[in-house]
Amino acid sequence: MSTYAVNYLCREVLRDHAFRAAMKADPAAAIAKYDLTLEERAALLAGDVATLYRLGVNAFLMGYLPRFEVCGLTLPIYNERIRSCAGDAGVEGRH
Amino acid sequence: MAEIVGALGVPHTPFFPSLVEREGPACETARFFASLTRELEAMRPDLLVMYDTDHLNTFFFDNLPIFAVGVTDTFRGPNDEPRAVPVYTITSRPDVAGHIRRAGVEAGFDLALAQEFTVDHSVVVPLHFMTPRMHVPVIPVFISGHLAPLPSARRCYELGAAVRRAIESFPEPLRVVVVGSGSFSLEVFGPRIAPGKSDGVPDPDWARRACALIAQAQYDALIGESTPQQLAKAGNVGGEILNWIAMLASVGGRRPKFVTPQMEQGHAYAAWTWS
Repeated sequence: MSTYAVNYLCREVLRDHAFRAAMKADPAAAIAKYDLTLEERAALLAGDVATLYRLGVNAFLMGYLPRFEVCGLTLPIYNERIRSCAGDAGVEGRH
Repeated sequence: MAEIVGALGVPHTPFFPSLVEREGPACETARFFASLTRELEAMRPDLLVMYDTDHLNTFFFDNLPIFAVGVTDTFRGPNDEPRAVPVYTITSRPDVAGHIRRAGVEAGFDLALAQEFTVDHSVVVPLHFMTPRMHVPVIPVFISGHLAPLPSARRCYELGAAVRRAIESFPEPLRVVVVGSGSFSLEVFGPRIAPGKSDGVPDPDWARRACALIAQAQYDALIGESTPQQLAKAGNVGGEILNWIAMLASVGGRRPKFVTPQMEQGHAYAAWTWS
């Protein structure tokens, strides 16, 4: 259940201001200590929220990425990418 | 004995405080909240019991209760940095909260205990507008309304009825107002958000239907139509209507004094008053 780690670190972007700053400065280094799959790590660093959503990452928590503009995400970019999953609505309900 | 003297249904949109700060007291959202504040002040409450769904800020995937009661002297929030909202310290009533939890467990509801916690915008934004001095104690009752599987609407109504009986058996003459916090149809940061925005209203027909059923006091129909499929169709926070449904168990079948829809946000403002 490594989506737990993705969900967790998305929330840390909100809660831990030092981690937030680290994610802005050097996201690859900031997430190095987390136990992510290669696919999760690549998707996160690319700001590929559509892939993360399909893997089961929670949308509220991913919302902190554009809100604090980490992993290259702004609201317009996030909006376009997450809306590309519109046919998959409900994926995040798997728990 | 304590007495329930009124009930409110409230939205908790996190950007409303900054919107009202920008647009002033004449804007629609400020006026709608002011209408609730007037009702609440007329109820002269000693205590608020608020049904709320947390957004993974109070609880998380390490431990996610379906139902929980906050039992503490004070709690702080918001913990999720909505703009234009200070972090408040909110007082509570652990004696009443503990009584509600004990009575709820005795009635068959496995209520988790939270003694140290913070809350997010879903508790604080309505209080920021209605009781900004934070002079009225608040007991939060948390319902898992975002992450499937959700508790059923019937179960939430029955929880509300058990909490109502618990309040009415508390041996102190408190005036209690019950609050339900949340939306009817809304998607937040999920695939069904509107172009260019961070949210959207996936099922406006359902939001209108819920408003109409509440306005006509057809609560049984509302419970029957609030199926897991309907709540999922209503958006990734569509289950927040469960907080309203739990609150409705306190109104004794009465019609609301008003239900004011704000359909572009998929939610409404409502008040019940009777004593």
